Amino acid sequence: MAELLIRNAFVIDPLSGIRGEIKDIAIRDGKIVEDTGANAEVIDAQGCLTLPGGIDSHSHVCGTKVNFGRYMSPEDMRAGRTSRKGVMHVTSGYSVPTTFGNSYRYSTMGYTTVLEGAMAPLEARHTHEEFTATPHQDMLANTLFDGNWSVMEAVRDKDVKRAAAVVAWTLAAVKGFAIKLTNPGGTEAWGFGKDVHSIHDTVPHFGVTPAEIIDTMIRANEILNLPHSVHLHCNNLGVPGNYQTTLETIERVPDLHARRQTLYLTHAQFHSYGGSTWKDISSKSEDIARMVNARPQVAIDMGQVMFGRTTTMTADGPMEFKLYMLHQNKWSNHDVELETGSGIIPVFYSRKSLVNCVMWAIGLELALLTRDPWQCMLSTDNPNGAPFIKYPEIIALLMSRRFRDRESELLEPRTGHYVPLFAIDRELDWYEIAVMTRAAQAKALGITSIGKGHLSPGAEADIAIYPLKPQEIDPSAEYKQVMAGFGKTRYTIKRGRVVSRDGEVVVEGANSTIWTKARIPPELDLSSDPEFVKKFEQYYTVRMSNYPVQDVYLPRGVCIGTEASL
Amino acid sequence: MRVILETKPRKKPKIPIEAEAIIPQNFLLKNDIRVYEGNKERTLDEIFYVTTEGPAVSADQVEIVLSGETGVIKRVGEYMNAGRIVIEGDIGMHCGNFMSAGEIIIRGNADAWLGREMRGGVIRCEGNADHYCGAGYRGEKRGMRGGTIEVLGNAGDFTAEYLSGGEVRIMGDCGDLPGVEMRGGTLIIGGDCHRPCGNMTGGTCMVFGTARALLPTFVNAGSEEREFCGQRVEMNVFRGDVANRGKGTLFVRKK
Ligand SMILES: [Zn+2]
Repeated sequence: MAELLIRNAFVIDPLSGIRGEIKDIAIRDGKIVEDTGANAEVIDAQGCLTLPGGIDSHSHVCGTKVNFGRYMSPEDMRAGRTSRKGVMHVTSGYSVPTTFGNSYRYSTMGYTTVLEGAMAPLEARHTHEEFTATPHQDMLANTLFDGNWSVMEAVRDKDVKRAAAVVAWTLAAVKGFAIKLTNPGGTEAWGFGKDVHSIHDTVPHFGVTPAEIIDTMIRANEILNLPHSVHLHCNNLGVPGNYQTTLETIERVPDLHARRQTLYLTHAQFHSYGGSTWKDISSKSEDIARMVNARPQVAIDMGQVMFGRTTTMTADGPMEFKLYMLHQNKWSNHDVELETGSGIIPVFYSRKSLVNCVMWAIGLELALLTRDPWQCMLSTDNPNGAPFIKYPEIIALLMSRRFRDRESELLEPRTGHYVPLFAIDRELDWYEIAVMTRAAQAKALGITSIGKGHLSPGAEADIAIYPLKPQEIDPSAEYKQVMAGFGKTRYTIKRGRVVSRDGEVVVEGANSTIWTKARIPPELDLSSDPEFVKKFEQYYTVRMSNYPVQDVYLPRGVCIGTEASL
Repeated sequence: MRVILETKPRKKPKIPIEAEAIIPQNFLLKNDIRVYEGNKERTLDEIFYVTTEGPAVSADQVEIVLSGETGVIKRVGEYMNAGRIVIEGDIGMHCGNFMSAGEIIIRGNADAWLGREMRGGVIRCEGNADHYCGAGYRGEKRGMRGGTIEVLGNAGDFTAEYLSGGEVRIMGDCGDLPGVEMRGGTLIIGGDCHRPCGNMTGGTCMVFGTARALLPTFVNAGSEEREFCGQRVEMNVFRGDVANRGKGTLFVRKK
């Protein structure tokens, strides 16, 4: 029995209602327990901030498009190299590092669970292979259904049950975790040489609208009783004036779940633009936040932009093509048969660009104007807004008005006319940061019941101890220490084992992949449905029997089984 | 100063050697020079018999002579900024990567990526060069930006891909797609080639042999005389690649 006792920890555990008290944490065999025996190994936390392991609910770290980002950016690969050291593999890359690079950098920041934001079902094997090489985090995969032909046919036929059946079959086949809709209908419309500019535009050939896809998938998701809600990347990403589309989308969301949101809107920053062109783009964060405050059935993540070099990558092919037309730099677009697409381009967010400064401000505004931190999670849509290694800086900005004011002096001088940020006094506290970086994510993803995101007995012993003493430090003034502290844990503990210490990775690590399987009545099982089978026979480049991801790809799979309400 | 590096016999002579440290400035500074044999770090004298003759006060005065089984040695001359390297035989991949000044002479053949993303200086290869001579690495938007590469033999496919400046001169034939994505600089091909200059947006390419499978997206813009090896040659002039709104110039010898 491996036992570990953490003494004198300043614990904030929002899901257990602990808002900051000095406590001991007892661990046995990878789980939190009431107490340990006399022989337990002891860590003295010395009053340092101790939180459940960080959870990133939207990040792009594994899979084909991430890998293409690596492949097309040799300059990114040359940046951020570290050599082999002890148990650490060689790493390289800055915005799209190698898998071990991602894993070690997350680990030293105290993150123990990461959700890959977009996995194309057809290309799931690649994602799972990279998951096994991201050893310090438990991984989950949002699975793309935005342009899925079978789904759109079910939407056209107003057949929610069939949509649910497609989702159930596909998630189980590709070992996915949740439904992701990226620019629903938009990428498929683009495949037909068209585009959708509102949620009421029709997707050619299928005759469905994004609004209908979203409505149907929300209901299908809840019929299947999946742990997470539908995870939506709204239509019109990055388009000036798109906040209207976002508001319209949120307005449609019913409240169907007691314990979590009914719709998760990712990287809300990219969807909160006013104006009509790049010249008069402005922040509409106040409108979006007001709407979110009024609708507890939605949750958002920030999608914060930070200045510097990064790589954008999304299943939103048409959006990336538009970016390419703007930058004329290197670019990749990719079509995934009957499912979705993707695009990748490198970008540089500059303080000299008014547009970029407005984007930077919007993300922070969303976090500061959303009243309930459980509804707005910290993210950069890694690496789209910035590489996740910028999280500590974002935390410091949210906790310190002084830091924001100091930053404002470096921005494009007109920025203040287009954003409300500098009129906002709010400074988030330690508790709110703890919510926004782990507890809210665990709740939103529906993984608290498997012991994620909290430290009550029975939970997974995933813990981050930061070299920060909340009782001694004033984050408003000492934002630099806050930034440094969140950048490097004193200890990151994964399943009861110290995996990194003071920024040094100390074990090889072995993660789990969490996936969902909804049990549906046999008459809805699509395995022998003639229409569904025909898709594989006529259109897919792979046979149906070769499509599912075999168990061997998930050496430590954790399946969350649900019973569909059918 | 003259540094002579002669390869020692190795148990497994096919294991490549990564030798980006072999550049004149490192010998001038008397740096502790390490190379990799496969994934094992080695000191220079584990791989070579090292002889040093004479003094040098600047890197310009350093000449490195490599001999023996040099065809498996990669990245010689990477980031070189002065001096001279003479390779008595063949050289491995990525010779002269990013070099900015100085001179590299190769008496034998060069493997792929000779002078990749080179900024300045001179490379002269007396044998053949393999694929991607003077090109940019995969994913780079610019290949060679300055300096001169001269190959007396033939070159492989994708010669001078993404060429942005400087001059690449291949006296013999080129393979497929020389000058593809070219955006500046000059590419001269003494012999034949296949599908030159696709997606070219700028720069000048001259083919003094036969250009097979010339792309249809080049517009004929008359003819001009050009000189090659002391002879005046009548050339067709093309502009393109119009598929890319390109403003490059492609000269091809008239039959
Ligand atoms: Zn994303």
